[in-house]
Order: sequence, then structure tokens, then C-alpha cells
Amino acid sequence: MGEKRRSTSKTLGKNKRRKGPHLPNSILKTIANEKRPLNSDEEDDEIDSDDAIVDLYEYEEGVPEEESRKNNRYDPVVNYNYELPEDFEDENVESDDDDEGGNSDNEEGEGDDVVRHTRMLQAVTGMPSAAFDGESKRKPVLFTEAYPESEFNPTRDVLEGKGLLTIDELMAPIEGKPGFNELEKRISRMQKDAQAVVHAPLPKPERERLERKAVKGLVDKEFNKWVHMVKRNREAPTVYFNQNVSLGYSTVGAIASEFQPRTDFEKKMASVLNDNELGEAHDEDGAKLLELNEVSVEDQIKYRDHIAKMRSLLFRHELKSKRIKKIKSKTYHRLKGKDLKKSAMGALMDPEMAKEEAMKQEARRVEERMTLKHKNTGKWAKRMISRGLNVKYDGTRAAISEQLQINATLSRKMNSTNDGSSSDESDDEEELNDGSDQDTPSKLIAKAREKTLKTVEDDEVPNSGLLSLPFMARAMKKKNEEAIEGGKRALEEYEEWENSGGEENPKKTAVVSGRRVFGATAKVEAPKESRKDSDNFYDNSDSDNDTEGIENNDLGAVRDTASPARNTGAITETEKFDDDVENPASKTTFDVALFASGSWKKMKGCQNAETKKKLKKHVPYSKGQDKKESRDDESEDSESEAEEMVDGILTSASKETYEIPSQAELIQRAFAGDDVVDEFEKEKQEVLNQEVPEPEKPVLVPGWGQWTNIQKKRGLPSWMVREHEDAKKKRTLDLKTRKDARLRHVIISEKVDKKVEKLHTTTLPFPYTSKEVFEHSMRMPIGPEFNPATIVGSLNRPEVVKRAGVIIKPLKFEEANPNEKVDDEHPRSNQKQNPKKGGKTGKGQSKGKSKQKTKA
Amino acid sequence: MKIKTLSRPVDEYTRERSQDLQVVFHNFDPSLRPMEKAVEYKRALTAAKLEKIFARPFVGAMDGHRDGVSCMAKNPNYLKGIFSASMDGDIRLWDISSRRTVCQFPGHQGAVRGLTVSTDGNVLVSCGTDCTVRLWKVPRPTLEDSSVSSENFIEPAAEYVWKNAFWAVDHQFEGELFATAGAQLEIWNHNRASPVQSFQWGTDSVISVRFNPGEPDILATSASDRSITIYDLRMSSAARRIIMMTKTNSIAWNPMEPMNLTAANEDGSCYSFDGRKMDEAKCVHKDHVSAVMDIDFSPTGREFVTGSYDRSVRIFPYNGGHSREIYHTKRMQRVFCVKYSCDATYVLSGSDDTNLRLWKAKASEQLGVILPREQKKHEYNEAVKNRYKHLPEVKRIVRHRHLPKPIYKALGIIRTVNDSKRRKEDRRRAHSAPGTIVTKPLRQRRIIKEVE
Repeated sequence: MGEKRRSTSKTLGKNKRRKGPHLPNSILKTIANEKRPLNSDEEDDEIDSDDAIVDLYEYEEGVPEEESRKNNRYDPVVNYNYELPEDFEDENVESDDDDEGGNSDNEEGEGDDVVRHTRMLQAVTGMPSAAFDGESKRKPVLFTEAYPESEFNPTRDVLEGKGLLTIDELMAPIEGKPGFNELEKRISRMQKDAQAVVHAPLPKPERERLERKAVKGLVDKEFNKWVHMVKRNREAPTVYFNQNVSLGYSTVGAIASEFQPRTDFEKKMASVLNDNELGEAHDEDGAKLLELNEVSVEDQIKYRDHIAKMRSLLFRHELKSKRIKKIKSKTYHRLKGKDLKKSAMGALMDPEMAKEEAMKQEARRVEERMTLKHKNTGKWAKRMISRGLNVKYDGTRAAISEQLQINATLSRKMNSTNDGSSSDESDDEEELNDGSDQDTPSKLIAKAREKTLKTVEDDEVPNSGLLSLPFMARAMKKKNEEAIEGGKRALEEYEEWENSGGEENPKKTAVVSGRRVFGATAKVEAPKESRKDSDNFYDNSDSDNDTEGIENNDLGAVRDTASPARNTGAITETEKFDDDVENPASKTTFDVALFASGSWKKMKGCQNAETKKKLKKHVPYSKGQDKKESRDDESEDSESEAEEMVDGILTSASKETYEIPSQAELIQRAFAGDDVVDEFEKEKQEVLNQEVPEPEKPVLVPGWGQWTNIQKKRGLPSWMVREHEDAKKKRTLDLKTRKDARLRHVIISEKVDKKVEKLHTTTLPFPYTSKEVFEHSMRMPIGPEFNPATIVGSLNRPEVVKRAGVIIKPLKFEEANPNEKVDDEHPRSNQKQNPKKGGKTGKGQSKGKSKQKTKA
Repeated sequence: MKIKTLSRPVDEYTRERSQDLQVVFHNFDPSLRPMEKAVEYKRALTAAKLEKIFARPFVGAMDGHRDGVSCMAKNPNYLKGIFSASMDGDIRLWDISSRRTVCQFPGHQGAVRGLTVSTDGNVLVSCGTDCTVRLWKVPRPTLEDSSVSSENFIEPAAEYVWKNAFWAVDHQFEGELFATAGAQLEIWNHNRASPVQSFQWGTDSVISVRFNPGEPDILATSASDRSITIYDLRMSSAARRIIMMTKTNSIAWNPMEPMNLTAANEDGSCYSFDGRKMDEAKCVHKDHVSAVMDIDFSPTGREFVTGSYDRSVRIFPYNGGHSREIYHTKRMQRVFCVKYSCDATYVLSGSDDTNLRLWKAKASEQLGVILPREQKKHEYNEAVKNRYKHLPEVKRIVRHRHLPKPIYKALGIIRTVNDSKRRKEDRRRAHSAPGTIVTKPLRQRRIIKEVE
């Protein structure tokens, strides 16, 4: 070690020489001359090597002029520095400084040192010097001790573990002296357990590091014990900080206990309440209470008198109030009497009154009939019904039904009193309508006759209005005459039918039902046509060609009475006509085909060759008739068309060489003319164009770049063309990348709705790991309108519940209770916490935490 | 025969008083209300807008110091009391509700750098650059204090002179000890004139110290050699130390999670650490554009407030990378100290402009007595907003904050720098053999090493 230090000090010195502030060159020279022979070879080598490796540029200071003695300005001096005399001997002062200068001395005195050392060793150990010679020869290395040898600066030998003193050596001198054996035994015992050697302490930083390691473990342990609480807090949906708040007194008892009597009264009360004697009396059987409760005779008498007085006063008061209650005023009696008179009893007594009552009743009835006040026509009733409140509320319903009741009673009486002709009529009508189908023909006929008679007999002419105009009157008269004639004819017929009692009738009647309204009339009075023409009704009447219009008009005027009659008339006419044609069945069917589409089947039912022929026969006839009548073109057209169609179908149906077409053929035929595929393609193209629009063709602004022929030839600027092409390319690419690019029969729209976009997140928000979970998180509403009040609170509870003004203390340690999963601290949150906890534990309690637990 | 009938007792319908609410029966069949989601989304949007409208966080300023406010301390036992000290050695006790000085504690010669109050709220400890630690007896809060405007002065109960200037002081939770940070970490007892314990690891001075509120014997310090160290008093030795790239100005322990601490760093970010694994931050909270000067946890442990040299105060969620709120005013200068009130409702900041400022912790919160129905409504609004916060419209409104121009510009610059760095990194990775360039995650990037 000493050697090492020396060498380093040497190099240090060398460095100093090289790099430090330079000595004047002359001195350096002299030093070099004088000391070189003294220095060891080692030194030389080093310098050489230094010269060899010149990697650093050093500024070489030029020799100052004074020193180069160029101008001899100063006296020549050999050396400016003080030089030691040649014979000077350095004192052996041991310090770092003389490492450099003292080198030579040390080296010189090396031989002496060795001798001295051996001598010392001889003296210490008492061994011959030859024993140490080998050692010293083996190690010719020179080293100097910077410090005198001591326990703090052991010699090199000691450090190397050589030449150590042994216990035996130490023991040798005292051998044979008293106590030697004991000592030897002890020493041998000590040597036996060599393991118990106390080692030298570790260096401080090392020691501290170990210490810290231990502390680290302990601190970690300390921290780990909190993990369960922290975990619980973090996982809880809500943390509560408002639990233990003391807001002063909590109970009445607590307040009362603090009470201090202040006023006189309070003090008096307190003295009684705190009376020991009284308290004792209470605590015991209570007998003493009686003793304490003394009452004087005077007091008793006073008390009794007082009570008697109060009672008498009360009695008087009662009497008085009774009397006052009996007294009634004059008006009271008058009104009372009136009421009595009015009452039912009074009415019974007095016939006049009864009459009056009846009149009133009647008046009420009339009023009711006119106003229908109680038939839910009132404002209130309408409102109630329109809002459906009558269903909701019992009270309303009851009120409305009461009103109806009133109405019913009033109107019932009304019905019973007057025998309305109109109602009879309506009844009759109904009867007629109903019975027309079902009643026996004879009855029908009889009725019809009656009606006709009636119409014939009463022909009243209105005195005013349009019908009173002279031309109208004339027309009506004419019409009436005709009608009467017709009626007479009809009557005759009725008679005939009655006589014949026909078998044909039922058949006919059966057919009749369908066309009584229109078809019949159309045909009956063949010249005077149908309802169909009712649009240009008046024109006809004006043209005066036929009286049909007027008849209708007439009918309109006297609708009530005439309509049934006319109907019956129509029927009869039909029958008559049919008879004339001698082909009733076919004729009727034809008519039906013309006017009533509903009876299509009927016609089919009676299709055969004969009927067909007959029909064909008839067609010209009917046409002829039409022409004669000079009808509207329209109706004619439709008629003819219908006829043709009927013909066509009939013929096709009658074909015998008919092949049943195949399914595909049928479908093809059915959908002939609509090309679905093509349509779809067009549609898809449209959608594509809309979503990925075609780029606009580049055009120049008119007048720009088209002035000269050259400009025109040049055409569009290249950048425009390029842009257009790029856009086209982009479009094709877009079309290719569409989802429906390869699906021919599908359109997948990729249009983005901006309004909807607002309701989507671009990426999945942080804590969520899957889309489904995120969507689930806002699936159920949390508002009070959508949830019962019992759970709204827990749904909306914030993460931290605290109260302003309550100091929150830091976490207090609690031992983890393995049996208790849910914390008892916040029973409110229990039901909410449970499911969440379950879910989380299923996941694995969050990696980091679980790891820590296992580590702990 | 059994007949099922619908019956509703009259009692359910009738109100006892005319002021009572009418009972309304709802049919909760979802088919009757097909638009519920749309309705709630709309409500969320409205709630977000309303929140913005009602966001008025600034409650008031407390004016009185004649120099920048260097440190604050809250009385853990009394909500209305807040202590503040300034650079000129002035210490004041404020009444928050009236925002007036209750009393002053004169005595310090130089700047007061540390202030703390014992857990019972009776002893105030202050220390500063004048190499003294002073203990004061805190006056009991009385009704008169708030009304009387006269300022009274209090003499120190004890004054201990020590060898070096102090940078910070913190009191043990429910104990008799307090720790000062200076040339080294020293532990003091109330009744001893010299420290009872002293820790030194390395030669750099300790600049902040904070006791763990959950574990009263564990404390963390940060030193000017950019280290954060955890000590254990019982073992009288350090436990862990990490060296970061930049200095940590302040440390706060999470009061609800005793193993976690958050460090306010000079680089403008806060780093949340798990005391058991310091080689990686649990979360990096970025938003400040300049050094974070002070940090304090909300007593709920869910949030913390930071004050920064960029003249703003921010509130971060304990597990969120970005701040939820930023507070700033035109007149507020560099913020040196922040505190969260003991009921987690207010935030206090002390800044270079000699003022203390009182803010609401939730900017749009309604103060004062709230009726239960009102409370429910607020809760519902909050819940609905929280539910739809990811949708773009709601998100935009909720996130929007107005920033002072310097901060806005600085943010822009930071963003640009980060982008270019990332780009460079990407290119480098793309042009080198796969696996040769390993990027550290952000949570480890600023941590140099953990010292054994």
C-alpha cells in the first residue's frame, strides 16, 4: 500500500512538473543537469514515453531575453534561486511535500533502512538477522513510511499478515509462573470456537444501505396493512364523509340536563323539584306524600264555593242559549209555510195546485225537449266527456248519469203524451224496408197499392219557392199527371199479380234487393234515366226533353211521403219491363253487370251458351234504346265498354282448348312490364351518385381563356383537367371501397347523419373496454320520472358525499374483518355496493392490488 | 270468490298541509316513455351549460400582508382559522368567514418559510430563514374575535435558535413532534430547544417535508438534489429515495390512502407515487406550464389542489392525468402556497401579490343551506352530466375553460415541442433496427433512478 501511494505521489510530482506553472528554463536546465544522474532509470523511461506520445500541444515559452543574455543589461548571475550547498543533508522530516525533493535521500538511505529494520526485528523478536534476510531480499521494493509506526499506522508486514505475534510467543515468557495453566486453558478454549471471531465493522455507507433495506421492508409492511381499506374506499360507489357530526344537543333530555333556572318562577319550580323530602316521598310508597299534601279547611270551602258558582253560571248560560235558539223570525215562518204548501202533500190536497204543478211539469218537459239540456249537450258535460273524465272519476260519472236520467224521465213522458205521425211513418218505412225481402208478395203488393193510391190522391202543389214558378208548376203538373197515370197502371198490375199469386215473384224479389236504388229506376222508366245523371240533372230538366228531372225534383220536395211510393213504383216498372222482354233472368243479370259490380258472381253463375246468345241479341236493343234516348256520351261509353269486357271474359271462359300455364309463366305474365332488377340498379346508382357525387366537369367561366383561337385550341388548363381526373379516380376508389361494392342486390348507405353524429363518441371512452359495456352504462334512465322514488337517490348519488362545514379527518386504521364483506359503517349504501363488489371481485380485484397482497 | 280490485287509500293522496307536495303516481312502464334517453341527454346538456353559467369560484381575497405570502397552514381543529406567513416575517391568523385578520404573530426577522399547526389546533410552529423555530399558542376562537376588528399581537411561546436556515416545517398528525427541513431533516419536540433527531443523506439541503397523516411516524422529504425520500422515525432511518430529473417543490400525502403521495415538481407536473414502489409514478398529472410550487390534498383524498409559478391554481383528481379546474385572476401573481380546507369545500391560495384568495372547490356549487329537493336536483344534474360526459357536445362544454393568454400560449408551445419530440422519436425508431430504441413510459421518464 505504501508503495502504491508512493508511485502515485511520484506521478503526481511529474505531472506537476509538466503541467504546472513553468519554472524559468535556465533553472529547469540546471535541475536536469544536476538531478538526472540521481534519478532512477524508471524516471527516465517515463520521460521518454512522454516524449514519444505527444498528443498534447503545449505552448513552449520562449526564453526571456534577459536570460538569454543577449543584451547583457544585468550582471551575470549564475542562478537566481538559492541553492543548497553540496554537503547539505536533509533532515528526515516526514511530510507529503518532501516526496519530490526527498526522493534521492530516501533512495540513498535505503540500504541503511534495511539494516535498521533487521536490527529492530532482531531486537523485538530476539531472532537472528539471517531469518529476515530472505524476506528483505525477496522484496527489494523501496517504500517509506510517512508516519511513525503505531497502532494506527501498522507496518507493512503487519498489514500483509507476516511476522505477526502469536499467542504462544506471548505466552512463552510467563510459562511456569503461577496461573499460567489457567490462562492456557482459557486461551485454548477460546481458540476452539474460532467461529466467534468478531469481524471488523462494515464501512458506513454499506452499513447504512443495509439498514435502509431493512427499514424499507418495514415501511412497506406498514403501508400494506392499509391496502384493504384503500381498496374498499376506491371500489365503493360512494364515500361518505358526513357521518359523525355533532350538532349540539341531540335529545330533549340532553337539553333539559343543561337547564339552569334563572327567573323567580323557574327558581321556585326548581326548589320544589329538587326538594329532597319530596323526592324521597316519591321514591317510597307514597304515604308520605299525603302527609306533605296538607289542605286547610278554609281553602277547601273556598274551592267548593268557587266550583258551585261556576256550575250555576254554566247552567244559566245553557238555559239562555236554549231559549234563543227557539226564537225564529217572521220570514222564516213565512218561507216555511210556503214550503209546506208546495210540498207534495199540499198538492194532493188542492186540485188547482195539482193542475198548476202539471202545467209546470209540462213546461219543463217542453223546455227539455227544446234545449236537450240534460242530454250531455251542456258545456260541462261535453267537456267532461271529451276529456274522458267521466270514466276517471266516480263523481263526474254519477253526475252525468243523473242528467241522463232526468232527460230520460222527461222525454219518456213526452213520448207517451203525443202520438207523432212521423214516428209512425218511420216505423212503416222500416217495415217496408225490412219486409220487402221477407214478407209475402201479397202483402207487399197490398202495401204498394196503398202507397200508390196515396200518392195519386194527394198531389199538392207548393205555393212558394222555385216550385211555385209558372214553368215549374206546369212541368210539375205534367209530371204529376204522368205519375198518376203510372200509378194507375201500377194499381192495375197489382191487381193482376194478386190474382195470379205468382210463383215467379219470390225469384224476382230476390233479385230486386240489389238494384232497387239505382239500376231499377234506370231501367224502369227507360226514357227517364237514372241517378247517375243527377249531376246534370237540371240541365236535362231545362232542356225539357223528358220529365224525369222534374219527377226527381218533385220527389225531393215531398221526399218523406213520396220516396217509398216511388221505390215501389220502380220495382213494379222493372217487373213490367221484364215481362215485356220475355227474358227476365238474363236481362236482370245484364243490368247488374252494368251497374253493380258487387253482383259479378251472379252473372257468372248463369253463364251458358243460351244466355250468351240472348245477351248478344239484347245488346243492339239496349243500344238502340240508348241512341233513342240521346244520352250522355260518357255513360254510353262506359256501358259499351262494360259490355265488351263482359263479352271477352265470357268468350275466354268458354274456350275448350285452354292450357293451364306453368307457375313461372304465370308469374312472368303477372309481372310483365315491371323490370325490378333494372329498377333496383337504377335506384342504387342514384344512391351512389348522391353519396359519392360525380365530380363536376371542369368549365371555364364564359369569356375567360377563349379570346383567341390559340386559347381555344389549348383548351382547359392542365391543372383543371388533372384535378378532374383525380376527383374521378377518387370517386372510383370510394365506390370500390364501399361496403356494398360487391353486393349487387344490396344498398348499404354510408351517409352520415350529422345530427346523429352528435350522439356518438369517436372513440371508446377511457375506463370502458368494450362498446357493449359503454352502451349498457347509459341504457337505463336515472331520472325521477323514470324510476321510483326509492331508488332515485341511490342512482344519482355522487361519488363523494360530504357536508360543508364538517371537518374530515384522515383515515383511521381498522383491522380487516375477514368475515364481514360489507362495511357496516354506511348501511345506506349496502344494497348498492353489493352487486358492484361481486362484479369486481370476479374480475380479480385489480391486478396491482392483488399482487401487493400476495407480496405482503 | 276472490275479486281483485284496484284500491288507493285516500291517505296516500291527501296532503296534511297545503304546502306539502302533491303525491303523483307514475307509471314507470318504459313503453309509455319512449324518449327517456333523449330527454336525459338533453338534460345533461342543459346541466353542463348551467354549470358553466353558475361557475363563480372566487369567493374573496384576504388582504393584509406586506410581502408575498410564502406559506400557509390550516387549523385541523377549527374550520375558519387559517394561518399565513409572508416573506417579511409576518404571520397572521385569518377568519375565513369574515375574511379578516384575527391576530398577528410578530417576531421573525427574515422570511417565514414554514408554518404548521398541531393536530389539536393549539400550537402554531413557524420557522424561517432567520434560523429560528418559534412556537406560538393559538388563541381560542371566540365569538368576539370575528366581530372585533382590533388586531392583537401574540408573543411566541418558545423560540429555538438553530444552526441553519429552515425551508419547511410540518407537524406530526396527533403527536408531539414536528419536522423541519433545512440543511438536513430534523425532528423536534415541542418542549426541547434542540432537535431530538436528525437525518442526513447526501449533502444537499432539504426543501420540503410532509408527515403522513395516516402513518404518523412516516414522513417524506424532497431535497435540492432532486430527490424524494421517505423516512421512518421509529427506525430512525430513511427507507427509500428516488432521484428525478427536476426538483420537487412540495409533497402531499393522500389522507385517505396512506401509502400514496403526490409530488409537485419543478417541471410543471405532479407525480403520484406509491410509497412502496417509487421507481415508477402511479400517475402523472400534467397541465401547469410552469413549476408547481405547492400541493395539498383534499381531506376526501379524491382531489388535490396545486399552485403554480404560472399564476394559476389547479384542481386535479387523484387519479386523473389532467386538471378538472383552473382558477386564475388578473391580479393573482405567482402562487406560492395552496391549501384545501378541512371540509373539502374551499381552496385557499397565497401568492406573490401579498393576498390570500379563497375559492370554491367546486366552481358552480351552491353555497348555503340547500333544501332536500334542491339537493336532489343538483345530484341528478350531476349524475346525468356524468353519464353523458363522453358525448362530444357535453364534453366540449364541460371541458371548456378560459385561460389567461400567457398560459394558453405556453400550452401551445409545449404541445408543439412535445409533438416534434414524438415525431423525432418515431422517425428514429422507424429507421433503426426493431427493439434497439426503447422508449420509457411517461411515468418513468422523469425518474432517473431509485437509490438503494
